[in-house]
Amino acid sequence: MEATREIYWNVGPAVLLPMYLLTAAAMALAGFWFWKRVRVYRQGQSLDRSADLKQRVLSALNMAIMQMRVRRGGGAGGAHALFFWSFLVLLVGTLLILVQADLTDPLFGVRFLEGPFYLIFSLLLDLGGLVALLMLIALMVRRYLIRPEGLVSRRDDLAVHGLLFSILVTGFFIEALRMAATELPLNRELAIWSPVGMAMAIPLQSLAEPQLRSLHQVFWWIHMLLVMGFIAIIPLTRLRHILTTSLNYVFVDRGPKGALRTLDLEDESAEHFGAEKIADLSWKDIFDTDACTQCKRCQDQCPAHATEKPLSPMKLINDLGQVAFDDPEAALCERVGTDALWSCTTCRACQEVCPASIEHVGKIVEMRRNLVLMQGEFPGEEVTAAAENLEVNGNPLGLSFSARADWAKDLDLVVAGQGGEFDILYFVGCYASFDKRNIKVARSFVELCKAAGVRVGILGEAEKCCGEPMRKMGNEYLYQMMAAENIEAMQASGATKVVTSCPHCFNSLAKDYRDLGFELEVQHYSEYLAELLEQGRLKLQPQAFDCTYHDSCYLGRYNDIYQAPRELLAAAGGRIEEMERHGSESFCCGAGGGRILAEEKLGSRISEHRARMAAQTQAPTLVSNCPFCLTMFEDGVKGAQLEESLVPRDLAEILAERIDRP
Amino acid sequence: MKILVCIKQVPDMESKFKLNPEGLWYSDANLAWRMNEYDEYAVEQAVQLKEQLGDAEICVLAIGPDRVKEMMKKALAMGADRGVHIKDEEPWRMDCFGIASLIAAYARDKDFGLVFTGMQSQDRGSAQVGTLVGEMLELPVLSTLVEFSFEGGRVSGKRELEGGVRARVSAQSPAVVTCQLGLNTPRYPTLPNIMKAKKKEIQTLVSSELGVQPGRVEMVRVAFPEKRKGGMLIQGDISQMTSQLMTVLKDKFSII
Repeated sequence: MEATREIYWNVGPAVLLPMYLLTAAAMALAGFWFWKRVRVYRQGQSLDRSADLKQRVLSALNMAIMQMRVRRGGGAGGAHALFFWSFLVLLVGTLLILVQADLTDPLFGVRFLEGPFYLIFSLLLDLGGLVALLMLIALMVRRYLIRPEGLVSRRDDLAVHGLLFSILVTGFFIEALRMAATELPLNRELAIWSPVGMAMAIPLQSLAEPQLRSLHQVFWWIHMLLVMGFIAIIPLTRLRHILTTSLNYVFVDRGPKGALRTLDLEDESAEHFGAEKIADLSWKDIFDTDACTQCKRCQDQCPAHATEKPLSPMKLINDLGQVAFDDPEAALCERVGTDALWSCTTCRACQEVCPASIEHVGKIVEMRRNLVLMQGEFPGEEVTAAAENLEVNGNPLGLSFSARADWAKDLDLVVAGQGGEFDILYFVGCYASFDKRNIKVARSFVELCKAAGVRVGILGEAEKCCGEPMRKMGNEYLYQMMAAENIEAMQASGATKVVTSCPHCFNSLAKDYRDLGFELEVQHYSEYLAELLEQGRLKLQPQAFDCTYHDSCYLGRYNDIYQAPRELLAAAGGRIEEMERHGSESFCCGAGGGRILAEEKLGSRISEHRARMAAQTQAPTLVSNCPFCLTMFEDGVKGAQLEESLVPRDLAEILAERIDRP
Repeated sequence: MKILVCIKQVPDMESKFKLNPEGLWYSDANLAWRMNEYDEYAVEQAVQLKEQLGDAEICVLAIGPDRVKEMMKKALAMGADRGVHIKDEEPWRMDCFGIASLIAAYARDKDFGLVFTGMQSQDRGSAQVGTLVGEMLELPVLSTLVEFSFEGGRVSGKRELEGGVRARVSAQSPAVVTCQLGLNTPRYPTLPNIMKAKKKEIQTLVSSELGVQPGRVEMVRVAFPEKRKGGMLIQGDISQMTSQLMTVLKDKFSII
C-alpha cells in the first residue's frame, strides 16, 4: 500500500465550510483585538523606524526563526527555542495539508504528500509534536513548580499553557485514533513513521472501529475549536508576543548604539520637554511594552535591582504598558516612581540581554528629562549643586575652571590656541583633570604617548565637562551648553584626531556630539594605544601579573570595545581571570547615568558588589579604563573590606609601568 | 504687591584669587561668577511669596558691570518678573553705605511692599546693605531670617541667634527682609522658565545718574592671610608622644 493518508479521513469534506468559517471568525476576532491595541500604540509620538525596511524584515525573520536572542537565556531560552521550532514544524505541516487538500489537489489534481516525502513529513510532525509537548511540560514545571525568583505569572498564563497542552494532546489523540483504525491494521510499515501516534494507537486497538471513528470525530472537533480559540486570544494574552516581539525585531533601533534623542532647544515654540504622560513617548515606546514577555532577564541583569533598589526594568516597562492601556492621562514619573527612575545607571545591561529588543534606557531618560527640565527636580541636592557647578565652572566637582590644566603643568603639553603643534588632542575629562587618583591615569596616558613619539595637545581651560552625566540625568539643556563650547573649542584647535581616557567622554564626543555638528575622529585610549602597539610605535616590556578586567558599560555595551583593552593587558604580561559577569554582561560600577554625581542612598552599594565579584576571581588587581569605574572601585574595595587583597588600577597605569625604553 | 529683590554677583569661592593692582580688592580676571548664595534665598523667598499671593510683581536689582546680567537671568528664570541693572564698572569702590544709597535712590518712590536681600555677600561679608537700605527708606528691617511668612500685610519670621536660640519677629509691610542660610532651598530653574527669562526686560540705569552718597568707610588694604607654617602632629603611645614632645620643646624652642 502506498505511503500516504486520506486527508479529512472520517470527518469528510463536509467539515470544510464550517472549518474555514470558524478560522475566518477567529482571525477576524484576533485582528479586531489587535487593531484596538494598535490604537493604543498610536497615542505615542511619531518616530521613523522604516528606513532599510527590507534589511529590517530579513534580520527580524532571522532573529525570530533562529530564536537568536531567545536562545541566549540558558535552559529556559533553549526550551523556548525548541518549543518554537517544533511548533513551527507543526504549523508548516498543517499548512502543507491545507495547500494539498484545498488547493493543488482539487484544482490541479496535484498531491505531494505521498511516497518518501510523506514518510519524512509524517515523522517530523510526529516528533515535532512530542518535542513541543515535552518542552511545554518542562516550561510549565519551571514556571509553576520551580518558580524562579522574580518570574511573574498571571492567570491567563495558565490558560495559555493549558490551551497549548490540550491542542498538542488532542492532536496526538486524533492521530492515534486514526492510526488505530487504519494504519495499524492495514499498513503497519507506514505506522512506524509516526512513532508517538503508533505508541498511543496500540492500546486503543481494543476499541471497535465504530467507537474509534466516533471518538476520532469528537477529538477532531475539540482540537479544531481549541486551535480557533488559540488564534482568537493571541492579542489578549501573552501569546501576542508571537507577533509583537517579532515585529519589534523589525522596528529595532539600528543605532548608533545607545544614542538618545537630541532635543531641539532652539525651537522657541517648544514649551514641553521630556515624558510627562504616555503620549509624550514614541509609539515604539508603547509598542515595546506589548513586546515584553516578562522573561525577567533584564531584571536579573540590572545592577540597581541586584542591590535592592526600587528599579526593575521589566516592571518599568510593564508599568508604562499599564498606563498606556488603562490610564493614559496618568503622570508617568509618579506611576513608575521617581526613585526607580533615578536608580538607573543607564548601563544598558537590560537592553543588551532583552530577547525582545526592548529599549529601556531612552524611556528612563525621557522621564528624567521631564523631572529636570519641567520640574527642576534632581535625585538629591548634591546633584543640583553639581549642575550649578557645571554652569559656573564647567565641571561637576565645583573646582575652578582655571585650574583645569594644573595636572599637566610640568608635562610640557601643547595647549591648543597657544602655539605649538600636536598629533592628537587629548580630551582629558573632569575626573582626570581634577581628581587626584585619576590625574595619575592622565599622566600615565601622556607618558605612553610620549614614549610612542606622539605629541599631545590639550584644550586647557577651554575644555568643559563633556556633559554626559548631566545628559543622562535628564538635563539636556546643560549638556548641550557644555557640548557647544567643547565643539567650538575642539574645532578651533586645529586637531584632526581626539583621544579620550574616559568612556563617557568618548561616547559623547564620538556619538552624541555628531547630532550637534561635531565631525572630528574620536578614539578611546584603549583602541588608540592598541593601534600604537600594533604599529610598533609603542613598545612594552611585559612583566607577568594576574588581574581581572572590568568592562565599563560605555566602552563595552555602548561601543562594543572588548578586545583592545584585553590585547593591551596581554601585551603587558597580564593574565586575565575573567569575572562571571564580563563582556556584554558586565556588571556596572554604579556610576553611569550621572549616578557618579549622586549619593547612593537606596539599597546596598553597587561598587561593593562589583568589588566582591572581582575578588572572587582571586586576582589581586582589578583593571578598568574608566575614571568613573576607578573612582567607584577605590570606594568599593574599601567598603567591601577588600583593600588587602584587591587593588583597583587603570589600564594606562599598568602599561606606563611597562614601557620598553631603549 | 511689588517686591524688590537685591542680588549681587560674586566670584565662585573656588576661584584662584589675585589682588588688583591697587591692592584694594581682588582682580576681576579669570574668575567664574555666580549669584551670592544668600541672595538666592532672597530670590526663592520672593518667588514663593508671589506663588502665595498670586498678584505680585518681582523686580530684581543688581549693581555692577554688564556681566551681572548673566546672574540676573538666573533670578528671572527662577521666577522674577523684571530686572533693574544699575551699571557700575567698579562697584567694589563703593562702601556699604554707597551701595545702599544707590538701592534706596532707585526704590524710594517705587512703592515696594517688601524688599528682600541676602543676609550678607560671600565676598565682602559686611552684612550691612540690607539694614542700611531699610534705614534709608525708613522701613522696619527683619534681618537674618531663617523662617518667613506673610499674612494680611504682616511679615513674620524667625531669626537665628547665638547658640541655636531663635527669636520670633514680626512687622507691618512695607519692610526689608535679609535672608540667612536655612530659610529655603532655592529652586533649579525649569527649561521653559529659562527660555522665558531670555525675553524678560532688564532695564539699565547708570549709577552716577542715580546719585550715590559718599562712602563712610574707606578700604585701606586687602591682602591674603600670611601663610602659616604647617603644624606638627605627634603620634604613638603616651610614652613615645611625651618623649617626642620633650625633644621638640628642647631642640626647637629651647624651653627646657
